[in-house]
Amino acid sequence: MIKIEHLSKNFGSLSVLRDISVEIKEGEVISIIGPSGAGKSTFLRCINLLDRPSSGSILIKGINILDPKIDVAKVRQKMNMVFQAFNLFAHISVLENLTIAPMKLLGKSRESAEKKAHELLNLVGLSDKAGSYPDELSGGQKQRVAIARCLAMEPEVILFDEPTSALDPTMINEVLSVIRRLARQGLTMLIVTHELDFAKDVSSRVFYLDEGGIYEDGTPRQIFENPQKEKTKAFIKKQESFYQHIVSSNYDLYALIAEVDCFCSRLMVNVQSRKNLMVLIEEVLQLFRKSTLSFPLDMTVNYEEKTEMLELLFEAPPGSVNPMLTESGDNGSALPAIESRLQSQEYRQLGGRNRLSLYLKKP
Amino acid sequence: MIIQTVRESAAMVVSLSGRLDTVTAPDYEKKFDELISREEINFVVDFDKLEYISSAGLRVILATSRRIKGKNGKIHLANISGNVKEVFEMSGFAGIFPVYGTVAEALKMITG
Repeated sequence: MIKIEHLSKNFGSLSVLRDISVEIKEGEVISIIGPSGAGKSTFLRCINLLDRPSSGSILIKGINILDPKIDVAKVRQKMNMVFQAFNLFAHISVLENLTIAPMKLLGKSRESAEKKAHELLNLVGLSDKAGSYPDELSGGQKQRVAIARCLAMEPEVILFDEPTSALDPTMINEVLSVIRRLARQGLTMLIVTHELDFAKDVSSRVFYLDEGGIYEDGTPRQIFENPQKEKTKAFIKKQESFYQHIVSSNYDLYALIAEVDCFCSRLMVNVQSRKNLMVLIEEVLQLFRKSTLSFPLDMTVNYEEKTEMLELLFEAPPGSVNPMLTESGDNGSALPAIESRLQSQEYRQLGGRNRLSLYLKKP
Repeated sequence: MIIQTVRESAAMVVSLSGRLDTVTAPDYEKKFDELISREEINFVVDFDKLEYISSAGLRVILATSRRIKGKNGKIHLANISGNVKEVFEMSGFAGIFPVYGTVAEALKMITG
């Protein structure tokens, strides 16, 4: 239904979207997720021509909508958009908000447009608000009117641009349940959202946007339960990372632990976990220092906000050995201090690097 | 880490404050080298103000103690509490050294 080929979008020298090619089939409900600034809304706005792509083509049922001869208003009728900020006409009633465009652009009679408007208000649970003005409605109600207004134009595709991000938590569900209902009716929808549970539940397909493109594309099950790529994994697990490249064994321990402490403090990591992490950093680095082959060493602290899991990951060059095996259990050994703080550990070779993953016990 | 020393009649009292870790363990070693070179052989190490000790700290205490023992001297530990106590217990150090509740108790024990 929609075929996007080599789509790119630049704002001046800033490249937001780079060479996106993807095909969207009729009836697919696609959630577009990803970090802020990944280009999710820009991607949607390019499809709707609210932002003109810098290059590439967008074919809708075989017609390239970037062709200069195309009537953009007609394109937008087929592909209507629901905005974060509702964008209702404040000076006219809810009913008029729903009828004005079908009458003016689709040439519908008032009677026919109003009949449809009442059906749609019923669909979004607002049949009693036809005579109200937008200012008399809550945020959730306004967004439901915006969805009904979008449907009034009988679009083939609906684009939702963060439809719940301007709403209070109490109002989010009422809007999401309306979108769920539409998804069940087989409408083709692209939804930019930060509501990951909703995306998992409602979509037939998920695009994870990052690095200027569709970084990972899959079913909700694939993306949420078994993401294949690093950034998708980090995003889904709400994982934050601190990375440090340690050039040699003459590292500045205090500067390092001060930076890690700052990272932990920003994420409000439990105080005991922080202390344990600092001990582990010092002790494990000491073990690595026993061999010059261990350096340069990459150290990453991963923190999963959702599960409060802290991982301390070391990646050492080829030829290095597992430092946990070089330590005897003698008096003064670092092992008791390390092992008493761990839930599990794993050592493996990956891509020519030796990876030691230490998972901290939860306090 | 700050290291302060006071000469009592029975022994040299070495008070530690701050962190005894990878970075500061060489300072501890250096201070004891200096004291041993002055023929000091009996020590009480006061941990009252020590906030943190790592295995590098434990190792340097053990290594220093062995050197002192080689000169027929002895090291006594006092005021071990909190995090430092936990580390001592976890590593089995509490059983290796004579540990006293206070510096005064340690000095009394040395005097006999």
